[in-house]
Amino acid sequence: MSFIEVTGLRKIYRLGQEKVYALKNINLKIERGEICCILGTSGSGKSTLLNMLAGLEKPTRGDIIINGVNIAKLSERKLARFRQENTGFVFQSYNLIPQLSSLENVGMPLMFKGWSRRKRDREAKKMLAAVGLKSRMKHRPNQMSGGQQQRVGIARAFVAKPNVVFADEPTGNLDTKTTADVMELMVKMCREHNLTLILVTHDLDIAKYADRIVHLIDGDIHSDELNKAVYDPFTEKDGDKSRQPAS
Amino acid sequence: MKLFDMIIMCLRNLWRRKGRTLLTVIGVIIGCCAIIVMISLGQGMNAAMDNMLASWGDLNAITIYGNSRYIWVGDGNSNSEDKPKLDEEALEMMKNLDHVETVFPKIEVDSNYVTVTAGKNGRYKANWIEIYGVDFSALKKMGYVPEQGDYPSGDDTLHTLVFGNEAAYQFRDSKKRGQNSYTYKQMLPDGTWSEPFFDPMTESVQIYINNTKKPNDDGTYQSGGRAYEFKMTTAAVLEQDNDWQTVYSLMIDMDFAREIINSYNRLNNVKDATEPEFSQIKLWVDDINNVDAVETILSDLGYNTSSMASQRKSMQGQLGVVQMVLGCLAAISLLVAAIGITNTMIMSIYERTREIGIMKVLGCFISNIRVVFLMEAGMIGLLGGAIGTVISFIISAVMNTLGNDTFANMFGIYTDGSSPISIIPIWLVLLALAFSTVIGLISGFYPANRAVKISALEAIRNE
Repeated sequence: MSFIEVTGLRKIYRLGQEKVYALKNINLKIERGEICCILGTSGSGKSTLLNMLAGLEKPTRGDIIINGVNIAKLSERKLARFRQENTGFVFQSYNLIPQLSSLENVGMPLMFKGWSRRKRDREAKKMLAAVGLKSRMKHRPNQMSGGQQQRVGIARAFVAKPNVVFADEPTGNLDTKTTADVMELMVKMCREHNLTLILVTHDLDIAKYADRIVHLIDGDIHSDELNKAVYDPFTEKDGDKSRQPAS
Repeated sequence: MKLFDMIIMCLRNLWRRKGRTLLTVIGVIIGCCAIIVMISLGQGMNAAMDNMLASWGDLNAITIYGNSRYIWVGDGNSNSEDKPKLDEEALEMMKNLDHVETVFPKIEVDSNYVTVTAGKNGRYKANWIEIYGVDFSALKKMGYVPEQGDYPSGDDTLHTLVFGNEAAYQFRDSKKRGQNSYTYKQMLPDGTWSEPFFDPMTESVQIYINNTKKPNDDGTYQSGGRAYEFKMTTAAVLEQDNDWQTVYSLMIDMDFAREIINSYNRLNNVKDATEPEFSQIKLWVDDINNVDAVETILSDLGYNTSSMASQRKSMQGQLGVVQMVLGCLAAISLLVAAIGITNTMIMSIYERTREIGIMKVLGCFISNIRVVFLMEAGMIGLLGGAIGTVISFIISAVMNTLGNDTFANMFGIYTDGSSPISIIPIWLVLLALAFSTVIGLISGFYPANRAVKISALEAIRNE
């Protein structure tokens, strides 16, 4: 069984009398450790798919099984618990809490898990060091650049040692140079911990970091192919052919 | 999420909008102050009322009146034949009632029946003095305290007298005319009390039974003869107390009182004379809260009862209405404060929509979000309650110092001038704190529910 299995997924929005098919019929399998890019234009349903994979939205029909759990059928409380234990999030607009220092922002997921302040500060410090922000621990988000803020966001996504990290246009607000830094950081952290990364973007340059690119058009999978030339910033070597997509 | 983290988060959120939090808290302070001060005025009124009633008589006592023609009690249609007799049998029944501790029967000797004289040749006379036949052995238990002399004791107390504190002032000097023949108890300029015409402890006192066939010019009667004259020994003069009946009267032995009544009836050929009944029985109940129950039993049996407790009840009822009105006025201001809290919390939710969404996405339980919001609202209430309590104590102290009259007149409330007009008991403090916190929680309930319903998607959508 694959780490993530999506079968017959459909999402219909109602806009007044009209039905809008955001997702028509999605079937997808993603393996543990895979870096999967969901590519699509605005309105292709890529964000809807991500939201449903993360359990933020209930599908109209279909199943989403992550790590053996059908999250489409979980209660609100169990979903929260599931997110605490399995998922990390990286947002386009960082979504850090402005009143909190970067240390506190990174520690937040651990706080929701009920960790003591001492324990979560220790973990958060480690993560901040790992993203190269050791000297910015006491800074507030508005005292940092966009790239730094997004690195805090990445630290926050990885701090609870999740199984899967969702990234929604993580570099949408960043310039080219910073985009490369941030993408490399994310890929590196995923590889180190053998995490699954689901990357949603409309940007082909970003997609090149992924092992596999799922192309969505109008709520359907248009193409699902291995990235023949995975850009691996660590080996500087193209394409690892041993990694195969599940479907 | 740990409770401590939620408290920190709640405080941080309140602190973030200091000005708005402060204004909302002030609303609660005003409401809380209003309620505490109003209730404290009510407490003051109750205390003043209890003081007043206690000065009138014993709150634990019930008095049962007999079928005397002097005492008009009840519905006005009371026919003495319908009423149960107040005899030894009734006394025994009352003694055995639950909660009754002591019974103290009295037989009233009609002031028309006898004349009391004192001094040589009966110089000092009391024609209309009240005489009660009592059980001397119970005097001490009843709380009568001798000012001079001692409780009557010994085997033969049949012809023993006990003077009420001002009884001796009821005698007039038959050798003087006009105003000079009367005296009364008053404070003299040098601070001592005026003296009666004679010292009851040393002067000899006689009682004779009136012969109604031999009236004097002044409306008094002559003695029925040697057989109807009794030489009395005075045992004690009682201290001043709050029993208005005995202050001006004489007490004699119960059996002697019966003898006098029977002798009077015989001497004056009264028709249909019956064995004298008790004119009054006073009951002491173990607890003030049981007075009502005992009194109800007795009045259901047809007795004419009266107690301070029943008076207290009706007065409390009247005060209760006043207090209710004051309390409602105060409650309105707290209601306004509660709306203020709700308003503040809703504003706060709009500001924090994104934050709440992020928390949800990062795996925060919605129960935790709800608790944080309720805590914030409750904290505003508690803070307002605490500060309001402190300010209430200040207001209360100011009112009590500035004097009773000003404020009492202003609010139209009853005060006897001796007790404070505003009393804040400890339970009121606790009640105010709990109440304002609960008000805060209730006000926060709707906003907290809105907060948890915020969609995580809506909140984190990219703008």
